[in-house]
Amino acid sequence: MIEVSDIHKSYGQVEVIRGISFNVNPGEVVCIIGPSGSGKSTILRCLNGLETYQQGDIHIDGRRVDPEDRSIKDIRLRVSMVFQRFNLFPHRTALENVMEGPIYVMGIDPHEARERATNYLEKVGLADKLDSYPANLSGGQQQRVAIARALAMQPEAILFDEPTSALDPELVGDVLEVMRQLADEGMTMVVVTHEMGFAREVADRVLFLEGGVIVEQGPAKDVLSNPQEARTQSFLRRVLRPLV
Amino acid sequence: MSEVLSRAGDYMPVLLEGVWITIAVTVLSLLLSTVLGLFWAILGWTKIRAFQIISRTFITLIRGIPIIVQLFYIYFVMPDIGINLTAFQAGVIGMGIAYSAYQAENFRAGIEAIDRGQIEAAQSIGMSDSMIMWRVILPQAFRIALPPYGNTMIMMLKDSSLVSTITVTELTRQGQLVAASTFDNMTVFTLVALMYLVMALPLTYLARQLEKRYKKS
Ligand SMILES: Nc1ncnc2c1ncn2[C@@H]1O[C@H](COP(=O)(O)OP(=O)(O)OP(=O)(O)O)[C@@H](O)[C@H]1O
Ligand SMILES: [Mg+2]
Repeated sequence: MIEVSDIHKSYGQVEVIRGISFNVNPGEVVCIIGPSGSGKSTILRCLNGLETYQQGDIHIDGRRVDPEDRSIKDIRLRVSMVFQRFNLFPHRTALENVMEGPIYVMGIDPHEARERATNYLEKVGLADKLDSYPANLSGGQQQRVAIARALAMQPEAILFDEPTSALDPELVGDVLEVMRQLADEGMTMVVVTHEMGFAREVADRVLFLEGGVIVEQGPAKDVLSNPQEARTQSFLRRVLRPLV
Repeated sequence: MSEVLSRAGDYMPVLLEGVWITIAVTVLSLLLSTVLGLFWAILGWTKIRAFQIISRTFITLIRGIPIIVQLFYIYFVMPDIGINLTAFQAGVIGMGIAYSAYQAENFRAGIEAIDRGQIEAAQSIGMSDSMIMWRVILPQAFRIALPPYGNTMIMMLKDSSLVSTITVTELTRQGQLVAASTFDNMTVFTLVALMYLVMALPLTYLARQLEKRYKKS
């Protein structure tokens, strides 16, 4: 479904993505892990055209992702994104945030859109917060609204960029639970995360990024429990140490 | 004292005519400056380099030239290139253009205050640039721009007196005319000052309310 081949990207003189290739099949959950600055967000943002890339190709359902082209809208309808900082529209209620895309981008009848938005907000456990403004929601609730907003576009895949990193520890669980449920229902997901437990349990595959390249990739259990590369081993030692 | 009051009463009808013109000039040029200012701000926001340059150049130009000179230019120079305007039209257009530069700066600040993440979220659900502008940025930018907008209204009310220099018979000019024919400067200009004050007070109150309301959130 998502095919990434030999992507390179530079900011000015600095090459931050240095030849990345991977595929994501329908229904697969792929987690991207790696140290800060390794290019995780950048590659994810390339997937739905929030960043340009200078070399290589990204195809979604066979169509090339080109942020400058009109086709990007169609690609974004297939691939939604959930951000670290939620990025809800603060002047709109939870319900309005979720209805925005269906009404104004997909052109769906407002009544139908309201029904659809309500359903997705119920699905993420926020049936009682439809009319709340983001400022009056906890971080975990805001992130779940953001997930509902992505779901309401009925995408084929959802990209998550560290969806729980901005949350208080006690709120992380609710969000991960929703994501786990989506994965169980067969949603295609690419998740940048520091939650190794989530990656181990939910991901089909894990990519370990460092310095703009994929150092190691494979089934989640292999990469996380039995990494082959020294750099993966030392990264996992660093992030897992606080837990043991 | 009663003599002063009765003289004041004599001047009132003429001065009130001026008040209406002052209000008309203020309201119309406020509208024009708002629309134009928004236009410059949006032009500057687009990713198109040429638009950005046009917007920035215009704003710099307008802010660097005294309003009176701009009014003279529109009223006295434009006829030379075949554009004939009445004094009133020239006044409204001149004030509107002059203040559009300040309005643009105000709107620009509002637009730039919107967090980049929201724009990306809007893009990620497939919104076009113009839709992002209308649905995401402007509703919030307006809120941010409102308190300074209240102050701009007061400034424009007072600065509308500048159009007296191109013979628009608004309040200040009527005052000058009455004073010139009666030599009663004291009474006339005290009245004129009071009338401006009475018009400005509700605006001042409004500006303060706006500031209070939107500073909190
Ligand atoms: N807009 C930008 N301009 C210049 N450099 C950038 C920009 N965005 C990212 N970078 C650089 O690109 C590199 C990769 O950034 P990226 O955000 O993809 O890292 P990351 O793996 O997501 O890190 P983190 O875990 O901290 O989120 C970093 O070195 C970063 O400094
Ligand atoms: Mg990141």
